[in-house]
Amino acid sequence: MKRNLLKGSVGPKDNDSRFLLDVHRRDLPGEDTMVRYDDADEVDLCIVGAGAGGSVLAQRVARAGWRVVILEVGPFWHPDEDWVSDEAGSHDLYWTQKRIIGGTDPIEMGKNNSGRGVGGSMVHYAGYCPRFHPSDFHTQTLDGVGADWPIAYEDLRAHYETVERELPVAGQDWPWGYPHSYPFSPHPISEAASVMWRGALKLGITMRVGPVGIVNGTFGNRPHCIYRGYCLQGCKVNAKASPYVTHLPDALAHHVEIRAGCMAARVEIDQPSGQATGVTYLREGDAVERLQRAKVVAVAGYSIETPRLLLNSASGRFPRGLGNNEDQVGRYVMVQGASQTAGRFPDELRMYKAPPPEVSSEDFYETDPSRGFARGFSIQTVSPLPIGWAEHVLADGHWGRALREYMRDYNHWACIGVLNELLPQPDNRVTLAEEKDPYGLPVARFDFSLGDNDKANIAYSTKVITDILHAAGAQDVLTIHRYAHLVGGARMGTAPDNSVIDADQRLWGVPNVYVCDGSVCPTQGSANPALTIMALASRLGAHLARNGRP
Amino acid sequence: MGRDLSKPDHLPNLRPGREPPHSSWLPLQRRGITPQMIGRYPDYDVLDSADTWDDATAKVVNARLHVPTELRFFSVGEVATLRAFCNVCVAQDGEPRVPVVEMIDERLAAGRLDGYQYADMPDDRDTWHVVLAGLDEVAEARYGKATFAACELETQEAIVAQLADAQLSGGSWDSLNVKRAWSVCMRMILAAFYAHPWAWNEIGFGGPAYPRGYMRLGPISTLEPFERPGATDEDPVREAPELKG
Ligand SMILES: Cc1cc2nc3c(=O)[nH]c(=O)nc-3n(C[C@H](O)[C@H](O)[C@H](O)COP(=O)(O)OP(=O)(O)OC[C@H]3O[C@@H](n4cnc5c(N)ncnc54)[C@H](O)[C@@H]3O)c2cc1C
Ligand code: SF4
Repeated sequence: MKRNLLKGSVGPKDNDSRFLLDVHRRDLPGEDTMVRYDDADEVDLCIVGAGAGGSVLAQRVARAGWRVVILEVGPFWHPDEDWVSDEAGSHDLYWTQKRIIGGTDPIEMGKNNSGRGVGGSMVHYAGYCPRFHPSDFHTQTLDGVGADWPIAYEDLRAHYETVERELPVAGQDWPWGYPHSYPFSPHPISEAASVMWRGALKLGITMRVGPVGIVNGTFGNRPHCIYRGYCLQGCKVNAKASPYVTHLPDALAHHVEIRAGCMAARVEIDQPSGQATGVTYLREGDAVERLQRAKVVAVAGYSIETPRLLLNSASGRFPRGLGNNEDQVGRYVMVQGASQTAGRFPDELRMYKAPPPEVSSEDFYETDPSRGFARGFSIQTVSPLPIGWAEHVLADGHWGRALREYMRDYNHWACIGVLNELLPQPDNRVTLAEEKDPYGLPVARFDFSLGDNDKANIAYSTKVITDILHAAGAQDVLTIHRYAHLVGGARMGTAPDNSVIDADQRLWGVPNVYVCDGSVCPTQGSANPALTIMALASRLGAHLARNGRP
Repeated sequence: MGRDLSKPDHLPNLRPGREPPHSSWLPLQRRGITPQMIGRYPDYDVLDSADTWDDATAKVVNARLHVPTELRFFSVGEVATLRAFCNVCVAQDGEPRVPVVEMIDERLAAGRLDGYQYADMPDDRDTWHVVLAGLDEVAEARYGKATFAACELETQEAIVAQLADAQLSGGSWDSLNVKRAWSVCMRMILAAFYAHPWAWNEIGFGGPAYPRGYMRLGPISTLEPFERPGATDEDPVREAPELKG
């Protein structure tokens, strides 16, 4: 395989972000000289949200000459000053504006779910970048559960390969799903991860290093990882991939404006034609509504905020919310089960060193009828910092003196987790709550309840990782049940009565509004979603750019 | 005599009643400060490496050493119970204490919340007021004391155990989901306590690592030159062989 020989030396084409960055400063280059469009100037594309999906889309169409404005409610980060090597000090990276959670298994949000600011949630995501499996696109046909996508793995494959070079992704050759290799070699791993690997080996479970979007070698002006372990607090080094370093520098160089501190309130619709005319937004600290005029609008605000914005965009022509004539907006929101178990070992492992994402297994990804449930889960090592570790100890039922005792033992522990594929349900849904945010907009309410298949999957997978710990020689085990990775809420499908957007991610019934973030996914497999969200955005970008400017 | 730290016999899950041993098996801190001056790394002070931290991080961490003592969010009448409650939750039974109360007050006053609210719960800020009122009600109704703060430590621990097990009901407790109220409070208490460098000393955490980074990932060693291995309660002078007999 030729690509293996070239590992680490092949950069992406048509994206100069890595060269535009400064070796010594972390600021997004080009902020000072960024083009500013007038509200009344009808731009080609107005994107809501400078996250994983929105940023890639902007970079792609800007390269094709489109004039683009991104509205981003969060701040324009200056990482040297704004980001810290500290858990509690990273509070402002997360979306901590209020959301209401309900259902029988409410999903806790905050630092565990999404970000707010230029770069979106990937600023503080862990860094795992696996692809979905080909089967993820046809779970209904193959397993009789979930939903089929209107597109297949082959439609995304070239975009996976491109985005993997842009991040760049480092890892061993991947034996699962559609087997592939990575542009960068695997990182060295910590003793905490090695312990898990040895346990898995004893049980005959295959582990692989990676795949992580973390520089391991020479990559333009992006430094090598320094194994400091604060990936979930924002990488102050620029080693970890996020749109902030992988796509937005190139986007700015191609005349994209990122308008930070601007909350999109609704997509404006010309009532007679049903076409969008732009996005109404509010600047921080200013009650005046502004309208950015645009020929095309793309909503990329994350699986909670995207449905919220569509529902808040109700108008005479779309009285139940934009794209919601068939009552599909906000439905089928999914999370992955993300239980973690920690094991105690005789030696000091000091799991806070090295990035939290290190090694993983997809041996259990596909359906195995003998397990008693459909679909599966993946296994990944993680490594909580002290506050995260305290939450883990609390979840096992300890407080007071017992909790302090476990906390003092921190350096002897190593942690492993799962990602369960939980199935899409119509009532797992984002709606509008009665409560309003400081802009006067109704906040989102997210109801979530587990199904029987979900519960069986979670129980089975927890046993597998606990067995790995025991095989590794763990002297004590602590477990926490939790969830991660929201997707869905504006899913793609074959018809308006089963989806919100078509295979080209365009809202049913609205000719010039697209959705371009995690909310488009009809299923989510057991893979972390960011790479797939970027690949989908890359595909949409190619589609829009194909016919030139609108 | 000290314990063998490679063994797990001090861990609550492996002991009767899930109770840890008395803290007297732990060494007293010899360098820097830990909460109650106990810990497992008596010769390690994370603040010794503060000069290697980037400015933004150093500013945020150092501010925790100088938290304003004036409370803005909680009322005067709530403070005694709040303090007693926070002490019990993280077993701070003596000085020096991580100023958990002040750190939480600062967060709540600034409205820095976690970003979600259960549909069957009030706003986190209201939850705190309800929990404190509820603790006083239990102290009075079941134990005949004016407030939670006025109870003996054992009584306070018994009440908190009931809160942790969602066993409290009646009065204020009926206005919220008790299990969730416990998690709202504990999340905030733990986020404050384990944000403090004294707590990092206690657990031997290496702390902020930019721009320096970590190099020793194992297997040969997991200790950087500035880190120290765990220790038990041996006194290095008393235990030195040449001084024995
Ligand atoms: C702790 C943590 C760890 C994670 N680890 C991983 C991992 O290892 N691998 C992985 O693949 N994924 C991981 N994820 C998930 C991943 O980060 C997200 O799935 C992904 O970034 C979502 O992309 P998105 O485009 O849907 O939205 P985002 O990247 O969240 O972007 C949405 C942006 O839109 C903005 N916005 C929203 N509403 C509005 C509005 N009305 N007006 C203006 N702006 C708005 C938001 O501020 C935000 O910046 C992790 C997430 C978290 C929280
Ligand atoms: S461990 Fe590496 S990738 Fe993660 S934050 Fe540190 S330098 Fe960045």
